[in-house]
Amino acid sequence: MVLSFLVLAGAILLILQTTLLHFLPEWFGRPNLLFLFIVFLGTSLDIYKGAVLALLFGLIMDIFSGVFLGLHPVIFLVLFFVLQILSRRLAINESIHQIPLVALSYLFTASSIFIFTSVLTPENRLYWAWGNEILQGLILSVICIPFFNFFHWLTTVFDSNSKKANNHCRRQKTGNRYRMQ
Amino acid sequence: MRKKNKRARQIRLFLFFGLLLTLFIIMLVSMVSRQEFNAPQKLALEVIGTAQYGMTVATGSLNNVWRNYTALINVREENARLREELRKNKAVNNEYREAVATNVRLAKLLEMKETLPPPTLTAEIIGVDPSQWFKTIIINRGSSDGVQTGMPVVTVEGVVGQVTNTSPHFAKILLAIDPNSALDGLVQKTRVQGIIKGGGAGFHMEYVLKNNEVEKGDLIVTSGIGGIFPKGVPIGTVSKVEKAGRGMFQVIEIEPAVDFSQLEHLIIVMKKDPLVK
Repeated sequence: MVLSFLVLAGAILLILQTTLLHFLPEWFGRPNLLFLFIVFLGTSLDIYKGAVLALLFGLIMDIFSGVFLGLHPVIFLVLFFVLQILSRRLAINESIHQIPLVALSYLFTASSIFIFTSVLTPENRLYWAWGNEILQGLILSVICIPFFNFFHWLTTVFDSNSKKANNHCRRQKTGNRYRMQ
Repeated sequence: MRKKNKRARQIRLFLFFGLLLTLFIIMLVSMVSRQEFNAPQKLALEVIGTAQYGMTVATGSLNNVWRNYTALINVREENARLREELRKNKAVNNEYREAVATNVRLAKLLEMKETLPPPTLTAEIIGVDPSQWFKTIIINRGSSDGVQTGMPVVTVEGVVGQVTNTSPHFAKILLAIDPNSALDGLVQKTRVQGIIKGGGAGFHMEYVLKNNEVEKGDLIVTSGIGGIFPKGVPIGTVSKVEKAGRGMFQVIEIEPAVDFSQLEHLIIVMKKDPLVK
């Protein structure tokens, strides 16, 4: 049930991003909602289900973005696994820690796309603009907390049994006080 | 117990790196091979494209209601009519200029055969690339309408891009301003040829020797070489020319003829068997 909801939610975010958000002025930045969703999956979902969703949305993103098939699945999966590792070792599930996490994750994703495309097709160089990247990172940092809270609430609502869901869909809780409750 | 946990952890690490390596190899292979959509990708494009189309229609309707409410209807209608007339006149004027230039140059040298222009199909944009790195769009025409990969896409103002992937009812267009786009163009006045590459917001004209005359304000049009784009379609206007000290070529920047931020409706030139797939 939660997986179906997450797939549908991701598709809706992609549709919103490719249609409605396009009407926003360019200086506003047009936040990358699907990227935020992948970060949410990386910090909140267990490894197997989250990896499948990250791969799926990477494949879907390839259809609607860019010309290189395979680029987004790899980058989304790498990002997902890095976030999974970080969330196990660091206290990044606190709201205040998610702001720099999102900003750094976005920088990592943008750099990866830039490096991959520059190395593989050097004759078609992309143009890195620090102003745009910083603006996008800032916008994502600002909206990440309400975004994550909203999706945490939604996943709790769609969980058929919240106690089971905490063990089943989320990671196993330990005695570590930094684990998300 | 500890040994089992360690082994399980090793297996997970092995699976993780193995999966990443496999995906990396898949990505590399797909990047160097054909970039066409397979059946699941076409299905995903059909499903999500339908939702995009619905969203675009809904927002378009709301947008129209708002515009009618906030603007004087008569003034708006007249403005739209005059803009359309101006756009048509600009296109006709450009065609006449191109025709005169070609006629003067070739009339006594070549035998010119009359050919019928290829049929065209109008399309509406229903989705835009969500990433800021690439410039692609989704339109509401697909292979069931006769759209094929490689077909050029234009508007009355000029070159827009090229069809890269299709599904039965939708298609993906690579805009000419995308860094991965390259088309052959020439300076309308002097017939100097070069390669027009996308630069994100505008174009760069490359491989133009320093001894070729190119000035700011010159109109750049398609050359027709390669048989992809019809000849003489406006690409843009030269905005900057730099003859740097080193190197054989000039650095030429081009302001696009088409306003890519205001694109709504496009024209697909239905060329049979487009060369680039």
